[in-house]
Amino acid sequence: MAKDHLKVIAQPDKQVPVGSHKQRKRKVQVTWYLFLIPSFLGILLFLVYPIFESFRLSFYQSNGTIEKFIGLQNFQTVLTSQPFWNSVWNTFYIGIFQIAIAIPLGFIFASLINTTPKGKNFFKVIYFLPNVTSIVAAAMIFAFVLHPEMGIVNYALEAVGLPTSQWLSDPSSSKWAVILLAVWHWIGFIIIICLANLQAISPEMYEAAKIDGASSFQQWLFITIPNMGGTFAFLLITGWIGALQRFNEVYVLGGPSGSPARSIQTMGAFIYERGFTGFEFGIASAATYIMFIIILVFTLINLKVSKMKL
Amino acid sequence: MLKRISKKGIFLTASFVLLLVTVLTGCSPGGSKKDGEWAGQTVNVQLIGDFSMEDSTNPITGEKIQGLDVLKDEFEKQHPGATVKFIIMPWDGYTEKTQAMITSGEADVYQLPGIADFAAQGVIEPLQPYVDKDSEFSTDIFIDQQVDSWKALGPDSKELEMYGLPFLGDARFITYDKKLFDDWGVEYLSEHPTMEEIKEKSAKMTGKNPVTGEQNYGVWFRGDWSSAFTLLNAAEGIGGRWGEGFAWEDVKFEFNSPEMVEALNWMLDIQQYAPEGIVSNQGNEKWMTKDNNIAIMLNSGPGNLVQQTHTQGLEDRIAIAQEFKNEDGIGGMFAGSPIAIGKSSENKELAWEWLKFATSDFAQKYFYETGVLPSVKSALEWEEVKQYEDLLGPVFEAMSTPYTPRYHWAAGQPRFILTSEIEAALTGKRDVQEALDKAQKESTEWLESR
Repeated sequence: MAKDHLKVIAQPDKQVPVGSHKQRKRKVQVTWYLFLIPSFLGILLFLVYPIFESFRLSFYQSNGTIEKFIGLQNFQTVLTSQPFWNSVWNTFYIGIFQIAIAIPLGFIFASLINTTPKGKNFFKVIYFLPNVTSIVAAAMIFAFVLHPEMGIVNYALEAVGLPTSQWLSDPSSSKWAVILLAVWHWIGFIIIICLANLQAISPEMYEAAKIDGASSFQQWLFITIPNMGGTFAFLLITGWIGALQRFNEVYVLGGPSGSPARSIQTMGAFIYERGFTGFEFGIASAATYIMFIIILVFTLINLKVSKMKL
Repeated sequence: MLKRISKKGIFLTASFVLLLVTVLTGCSPGGSKKDGEWAGQTVNVQLIGDFSMEDSTNPITGEKIQGLDVLKDEFEKQHPGATVKFIIMPWDGYTEKTQAMITSGEADVYQLPGIADFAAQGVIEPLQPYVDKDSEFSTDIFIDQQVDSWKALGPDSKELEMYGLPFLGDARFITYDKKLFDDWGVEYLSEHPTMEEIKEKSAKMTGKNPVTGEQNYGVWFRGDWSSAFTLLNAAEGIGGRWGEGFAWEDVKFEFNSPEMVEALNWMLDIQQYAPEGIVSNQGNEKWMTKDNNIAIMLNSGPGNLVQQTHTQGLEDRIAIAQEFKNEDGIGGMFAGSPIAIGKSSENKELAWEWLKFATSDFAQKYFYETGVLPSVKSALEWEEVKQYEDLLGPVFEAMSTPYTPRYHWAAGQPRFILTSEIEAALTGKRDVQEALDKAQKESTEWLESR
């Protein structure tokens, strides 16, 4: 009875013609592609199309409905625009100091957390919390924290006898307000990434160094730091790309024109100001492509400097 | 056999789902047929602000606010067969969102604060033909200056035309706290104060309050976002103006005129009587509270003025004076929202009916209850307005005397250029003349490159 049943079940397989294996494989592949269609359409519609449309717009004077072909005039306008180069300067200024402060500081904190016998997870959570906070919400809170009269930072500075600052009300200190916020927000991520690398360094290396009489500082300097190269390169590249795209926090703190006096207007904010407050989509698109080229060149330099392979 | 069963099963399931969808769609309100003069017609209305379809609670007063359903029901009752659908958007980023909507023809009626840009694109309907053929309607219902001030140039027109009806009112004025004036023994502001009066009284009221001992500031104004309007109004008060022209090819800016220089110097002078942080919109946190420490607030708007005054118990404290006016009695920014019909609307006649309804007393009273100003003259006779006449009287006066032609360029680059240079002057980065010369040069270059 059982044998008969097996025969019945097995029979259809016998009827499968030669070459059906290929057909079935193709059918499986088609199914896979069918499942990919929704996300592929999304990418096509919301990523690929805007990239090409923005490139086309960069050659037009366009307010969204009326268009006129003007060749390279938008690129000329952007490249000769003083506010644009001011925004490039602001972007790099904030980016350089954010990276120069956050990566070494994050690494030092990570090293300290790594050597702490107790409460590692507690410190990881505490330091990582800012990174999971929305940058928009954080920027709004920072505006209060840096309030010239009621802010906690000025209160603390005054309490220890240090001079206070106008922070966001002064063009000379407003960039530092953004740097402070950016470092605070990013440092948790750096600590987590550095910790992952620190825990992957072989303990045998430290044991060998101890036997050779190396001090803790020497171990950190000659074993830990050289083994962190890949992580530093990763943080440098991702940090630069993020810094060059900076928009959210400066928009919340200084509006589209980066108040006061365009002192915190970044390239992203410049594009937003021209595109979405003045309907100058052609100029905004041209500025976007110039920004893309700047990011590309800088990333290539970073890759070269950090010797990181793509 | 198994294959056949599964095919049958799939067929039955699909049929059931299809039937269910058909039944559910048939039962939904959108599917019900309406009879009447406007049967089958829908008007899609875009609104900007904190509106809600359902009843909600006013966060300031705690009072119940009726939802937009009230308007929908009334309009549909007055126009049998018609359907109203609302598309509500927040003020944040409204310009780009409206542009996207109007480009794709998503609505029939739009609330358009930046009407000049859209009229120039040819994407909204000129309204004069509708007014001409509608004997029941007259533009006399609106507060003076409102209709003319919203006129704009079409893509091919040489003269200003009516593209929108005044819908939500707005105005700029000077607000002050009478208690602080009393504490310092300073006479209240006159109805039409001068720049000198503001400066003199601000100076007197800056320092430790002689009664409370709290730190007081004579004046506050936004040194960033709206600083251009404070400057322009001060210049208007001494006979200056932003420039002239409406079509971009006719516009000529006068950002570095002697009046503008004098006005900016005045702003720098009074800045010393303001708290730190005016260029980052800070220092006014206690304004409109019982702990207020600012005597005079320049360039104030009417948003929730009445509600906040009463909720905070400041009826005896808050008073209003007019902004600076020129020899013709006009001055200050013209603001508010008109409503317009999209060119791509398929139900333009119904859209016009909505425009009339939205500017009727019924709808205007509704919007007034939500905290915005009406745009119709009859509002002055409403009981709801009369009981706050001390506050709203000067506000309605300000609405009827703004500077025209309005600052239609303020939605574009010249406003950002001027604002940045005012900020540069206020923060000592550039001197006044240099800042305004730079603003004039950059704005003129921008005009030429258009």
